[in-house]
Amino acid sequence: MRLDTRRTGFSLEAPFYTDPNLFNLDMQGVFGQHWVFACSVAEIPEPGDYVTLDYGPYSIIILRNDDGGVNVIHNVCRHRGARVLTESQGTTGNLVCGYHSWTYSPEGDLIHASAPGEMTFDKSCYSLKRAHGKIAAGLVFICLAEEPPTDFHETAKIFEPYVAPHELEKTKVAYQQNIVEEGNWKLVMENNRECYHCDGHPELACSLFPTWGLTDETIPPHLEDVWDRNQQAQASLEYRCRRYGLPYEVVEELDTRVGGIRISRESLDGAGESFSADGRRLSKKLLGDLPDFRLGRCSMHLQPNSWFHLLGDHVITFAAFPISATKTLVRTTWLVADDAVEGVDYDLESLTHTWKQTNLQDKNFVELCQQGAASPFYEQGPYMKSEYQVEAFIGWYVQRMREHVG
Amino acid sequence: MRSSAVPALPLAQRVRGLEMPWNRVLSSATGPAGAATALGPWHPQEFAAECVETISEAGGMMVFVFRRMDGAPLAFRSGQYINIDFPIDGPGAEPVSRSYSISSAPTEPWTFSITIKRDPKGRVSPWAHDNIRPGTTLDMLGPVGAFHLADYDRRARFLLLAAGAGITPLMSMVRTVHSLPGQADVVLLYHGAAPDSFAFSEELDFLANVDFRIKVLYCLGDRECGEEWEGRTGRLSASLLDELVPDANGRQVFACGPEGYLNSATDLLRDVGVDDTSVFMEFFSGDREIRAEYAEEVAIAGEIAEEIAASTEEYFESQPAALDMYEPEYDADGPVEAVGAPTEAVDAQAAVPVEDEVEIEVVGVTDDTLAEAEPGPASDAGSAVPAESGATASAMGPSETNADDETEIVDPAALPTVGQGEHTMSFVRTGLNVCVGEDETVLQAARKAGVKIPANCQEGMCGSCKVVKLDGEVDLNHQGGIRAREIDAGKFLPCCSTAKSDLVIDA
Repeated sequence: MRLDTRRTGFSLEAPFYTDPNLFNLDMQGVFGQHWVFACSVAEIPEPGDYVTLDYGPYSIIILRNDDGGVNVIHNVCRHRGARVLTESQGTTGNLVCGYHSWTYSPEGDLIHASAPGEMTFDKSCYSLKRAHGKIAAGLVFICLAEEPPTDFHETAKIFEPYVAPHELEKTKVAYQQNIVEEGNWKLVMENNRECYHCDGHPELACSLFPTWGLTDETIPPHLEDVWDRNQQAQASLEYRCRRYGLPYEVVEELDTRVGGIRISRESLDGAGESFSADGRRLSKKLLGDLPDFRLGRCSMHLQPNSWFHLLGDHVITFAAFPISATKTLVRTTWLVADDAVEGVDYDLESLTHTWKQTNLQDKNFVELCQQGAASPFYEQGPYMKSEYQVEAFIGWYVQRMREHVG
Repeated sequence: MRSSAVPALPLAQRVRGLEMPWNRVLSSATGPAGAATALGPWHPQEFAAECVETISEAGGMMVFVFRRMDGAPLAFRSGQYINIDFPIDGPGAEPVSRSYSISSAPTEPWTFSITIKRDPKGRVSPWAHDNIRPGTTLDMLGPVGAFHLADYDRRARFLLLAAGAGITPLMSMVRTVHSLPGQADVVLLYHGAAPDSFAFSEELDFLANVDFRIKVLYCLGDRECGEEWEGRTGRLSASLLDELVPDANGRQVFACGPEGYLNSATDLLRDVGVDDTSVFMEFFSGDREIRAEYAEEVAIAGEIAEEIAASTEEYFESQPAALDMYEPEYDADGPVEAVGAPTEAVDAQAAVPVEDEVEIEVVGVTDDTLAEAEPGPASDAGSAVPAESGATASAMGPSETNADDETEIVDPAALPTVGQGEHTMSFVRTGLNVCVGEDETVLQAARKAGVKIPANCQEGMCGSCKVVKLDGEVDLNHQGGIRAREIDAGKFLPCCSTAKSDLVIDA
């Protein structure tokens, strides 16, 4: 367990994936300190709408307030610690704890507690605890630290021009998939950060070029045709983006800033519109004021726990919420234009098919690694050239943990 | 042609999307807004209109400007047509009825215009050109047709495809967009037979110059053209579209012209990635089936108009006196009677030398031929079929019928049930079974149970409540708010339908 002498370019030592104590440290040093992607505004469109999130030891309420912002509140009653809201999502006025009916305002202030005969009970001392929340381009981020990292607004400034044209505030949730993967959260993220395994994603390979992460020098012979097609598709995508004033350049600051990010707009195969077998649109209603369906995929990776694909016709958000050292919830949410009609403008099964399958394949890969990490004969392995983003993720993680352990 | 030398205007601030001015009227409370309901194109009427102006246009076309004899504005939706009785065999004889698209904008409703191309072999168009003058009064029925701009469009990006006389409904659309404040993006690709055959080109150039939302492209097709021609050449093709309108992929397409032109447009729009459900077409020539569909459309409109006329009389008899401020002006002799000035024709171009009209030879039917296939004596002459520049069905694209191909199978038996009645309606998207009696409409029962179906007129005219019926039988008593082909595709109007069996509804 040597953070200070980590072998660069290699996977972590096994305890980082298996040890409950190290997991607790992750929860403090990463998930307790940094901005985490929670949900999109499409999940809490109206004032009073909330979602609750449980990860590690934390339980959080994210409530849309009357001003259009979010209140982030620890879901721990100040009376005896009961969970106040027990549903994963809903709409509420005041927050009422089901145990003794302590009632809090949407800001978390205790406004009612039955207190007959209490002479010294001061309600104002027992507000629910608050955390930090931010909405950027329709994405909701939360931070549990007393003093959040200060560079998040810079990260937001990087992604807003890419994300804003998709107008997430004018989308609705078409479907949400929750998968519990028997794997450490870092293995989930590592798997997402490379396409070296993409031969294992037949559905995704129809539209997502499996050459992702490769260069002219590192293309294997069996992908040369695809590589050429990819180059052509990318050229016409970039021409279109320039026409429409949409940014597409790769911005990559995965381990060089605290709010680690990579974002770009890249071409898709076939018709180049969406994640379907032929690359055609999966929803007939364009998002926002976008002028064209052929906008490839705007893909974003954020440290520590999320990735996104934003297309002309729909958006998919992915978030990893750690449950234990060996268990992670992966939540995938498909968003379509809020005036798209299911069964008319989109077919739910077609819309979700590719990534439902891909997620299940990824779950399997992650679980194979988790099983291996438990073996006494597990040894750190080398990340390949095309897995440089995995190295960047681990590099980011190690830096944050060093800062935390100090 | 659009001059690139004119610097672009500074970007204006606009509201999102395009909303027709009458769109808010029905939802407003009573009061003054009630007066504006007259401006809503809610139903067809029979009325007489008087010609007030004729204007010769390029391409052998003539614009006839009318005003209603009763002084009311003509409420219609941009793209619709009217059916006109032409007394070509004299006042005593049976008139010949023809449909013509309205080329003016409904946002200027006090007068309206139609544009007729002279077909030397036709029966009606030469008569119209030679006989209709300011002061000529004709009986009309309208508006008719489902080819029109939406009352509200959040994504008002349009590609308008016109061939020859097909410009007329699209001209209305261009003028309408120009007169409205909303954010819009319109490209008109206008095919003509000869450089001097483009009707409205000067106005279109002007609109394209002053309104950066509007772009106009002229194209000559395959014909030889002189050195002078600054526009494009070449038939409508995928490569032409890709070059001229590279973002056609994300636009709604309104196309109007002869059948051959529209059939090729259908295929190539698919090639450039436009979804069938985003393509709307108006046929200016067509086979018997298409023409029959129009005849039916006009017939239904006529029935509605008669019913409405009967009920309007009752309505006005029961109205309280209008408020003073809305009454007509007075002078020393009492109220100024709104009889209007006498109609007197003057030569609007008196000071301008009139160009000789060029007869255009029609050479076969190509995709930019402006052929008007007048039905021969053996065909159904005398029907209300728009054989000349008339109108036909907006082909909504075959994929409309695929809407429920892959809808998730919901077991209606598993849904909760509310209400009373002999039949059960399963609203699969809402997830609710609603019982309905034979005496209430599907919409009434659905709304009572909290199923949300948008609706407007509730009399089967406007089509706002159109939904897909996945199973079961209804008794549908519509008044023109739905097309035969839509009914064939499984759609119906809940507002004017009663259940004849258990139903499964995609709502």
